[in-house]
Amino acid sequence: MGSLAEREGYDVGLHLLDRQIIGSDDRLIGKVDDVELLLDDDGSLVPTALLVGLPALLPRFGRHLGARLSGAHRLVRAAAADQALPLVVGFDIVDDVSSEVRLSEPAYGLLHRMSHERAQDPRRCRVGSLLGTPVRCDALPRRSKVLDLRLVGAPGQPGEHRVTALLVGPGRPGALFGYDRSSEPGPAVVAAVIQWLHRHARVVELGPGVDVDHEAGEVRIGPEASLEPLRG
Amino acid sequence: MKRYFAVLLGILTAIGGFVDIGDLVTNAQVGARLGMSLVWVVVLGVVGICVFAEMSGRIAAVSHRATFDLVRERLGPGMGLLNLVGSMLVTMLTFIAEIGGVALALQLVSSLHHLLIVPFVAVAVWIVLWRAKFSAIENVLGLMGLALIAFAVALWQLGPDWGELVSGLSPAEKPGAESWATYAFFGVALFGAAMTPYEVFFFSSGGVEERWTSKDLGVMRANVFIGFPLGGLLSVAIAGCAATLFLPQGIAVETLGQVGLPVAVALGKVGLAVVVLGFFAATFGAACETGLSTGYSLAQYFGFPWGKFVRPKEAAGFHIILLVTTVIAAGVLLTGVDPIMVTEISVVFSAVALPLTYFPILVVANDPDYLGEHVNGRLANALGVFYLVVLTVAALAAIPLMVVTSMGQG
Repeated sequence: MGSLAEREGYDVGLHLLDRQIIGSDDRLIGKVDDVELLLDDDGSLVPTALLVGLPALLPRFGRHLGARLSGAHRLVRAAAADQALPLVVGFDIVDDVSSEVRLSEPAYGLLHRMSHERAQDPRRCRVGSLLGTPVRCDALPRRSKVLDLRLVGAPGQPGEHRVTALLVGPGRPGALFGYDRSSEPGPAVVAAVIQWLHRHARVVELGPGVDVDHEAGEVRIGPEASLEPLRG
Repeated sequence: MKRYFAVLLGILTAIGGFVDIGDLVTNAQVGARLGMSLVWVVVLGVVGICVFAEMSGRIAAVSHRATFDLVRERLGPGMGLLNLVGSMLVTMLTFIAEIGGVALALQLVSSLHHLLIVPFVAVAVWIVLWRAKFSAIENVLGLMGLALIAFAVALWQLGPDWGELVSGLSPAEKPGAESWATYAFFGVALFGAAMTPYEVFFFSSGGVEERWTSKDLGVMRANVFIGFPLGGLLSVAIAGCAATLFLPQGIAVETLGQVGLPVAVALGKVGLAVVVLGFFAATFGAACETGLSTGYSLAQYFGFPWGKFVRPKEAAGFHIILLVTTVIAAGVLLTGVDPIMVTEISVVFSAVALPLTYFPILVVANDPDYLGEHVNGRLANALGVFYLVVLTVAALAAIPLMVVTSMGQG
């Protein structure tokens, strides 16, 4: 099993979210409940942290259920000011992304709460809130959403992890089950059904014409951006 | 030599550990009412559990991921939670039924009412889960479960008309008094009992607990492909005994004592003693497996340390779950609910929960990121897709059939 990051980049939703985080001492730290992204002024998206804990997981259950569950979780200990803040693992200590996320530091005492300033920073957003964001684009069906984010970057090498492309199309984030990635996906019947369901999905490179507007809660894709089919 | 011993031990415990309260009760009930005409469903279920247990065992050996890790990684938190709630309900019902089954088995020898025994059984199960080593639980109870071979011996001693028994295998031989809806209901129940999801949770988590690697694939496959079908034969023997003794008399099976009665008739007191030991081991073993499975599922979904390979102190959350579920199970049983009825409900609902558990296993078993060169071959995929269709049909049909037939009464 080679590292995913070394091979051909990886998809945040498919390869990073919900995976186990293992410390350098082989201890289980938790699951990647969400990933924090930094929206740079030049429009680039850089992953900055893995978020762990119910405050990171619960909002991912959708706008209505997620908000209710998060609200209920706050009430569990309403007096605690940090009850709604997730635990943070800096992305700089991610050593490898394979079928697990391996860190370069031991597990003991590694997690710390996110600060209030960081949680309110408008330049930061979470992958969980970005997935499923409506996409406005004339070339795509109207119900299109952000299905996944494609990342490049190998740990310990020059250059950092950054988002290079968005997977967009109608459907539900996570419902591709990885059938857009491998060259000979099996079983053929399942692959055919899933690929047919996602026949309108496209990959769009981040760059001119692609505007991720987190505050307005939408992604706008202009005519100058190129939409590629999922595989090929 | 040591290697052969390990393989043999694995196969023997797989046989002894295959049968649980759901298999015992459902097979005896079906044998008594429908004869051998549903044996094909047992075969279908056993092949199905072999296919998916092998996949989940392979994933556990190569990538060290247990089933509920995969469920959340592939289905996401939302669908994963739906599966978690569903499987937890089914596993919890099964856990209750197994503890009740241990108490009923002990009632057979002690003549004490089973409600008086339940608290002691619950404490014993919890102590075993807390203190005993994983391999000890699996080996001791699995080997003791082999006592259920008494059913095969009893069937031989009862001396049925073998020709008639074999010709009864055809679905067309369904007794005329039973409707096709009842036939289908018991078919779904048998299928649910054979493929109940906790088996793969336990099997794959056990693989991670015992630190399997790709070198252990051969032993794992021997356990699955030899042990499970032989365990399935025990299920058929239970149905055969009931079909021989009860079907001609028109007697319905409603208690655990009745399940073991054919053995007593055929083999006398000694046979009865052996089979009660078998009941005890099978239900106690399955109680440990289902109890652990509730802890495994929750811990793997939420991502906190689990398992018996770390010290209880390091997996405190996991052990608290085990304690709480044991207390709940004992509490439910102490309300006086009939463990046999809980068993009947649990096998039907396990049929409902099947597709969400087995679909992610099939998808990940094809993913080279997890399995490298050990991904599914054509046969495993063909069978996997076939079973996905069967599972979905069974899941959709389970509740309507339960309502239409009033749990098989009609």
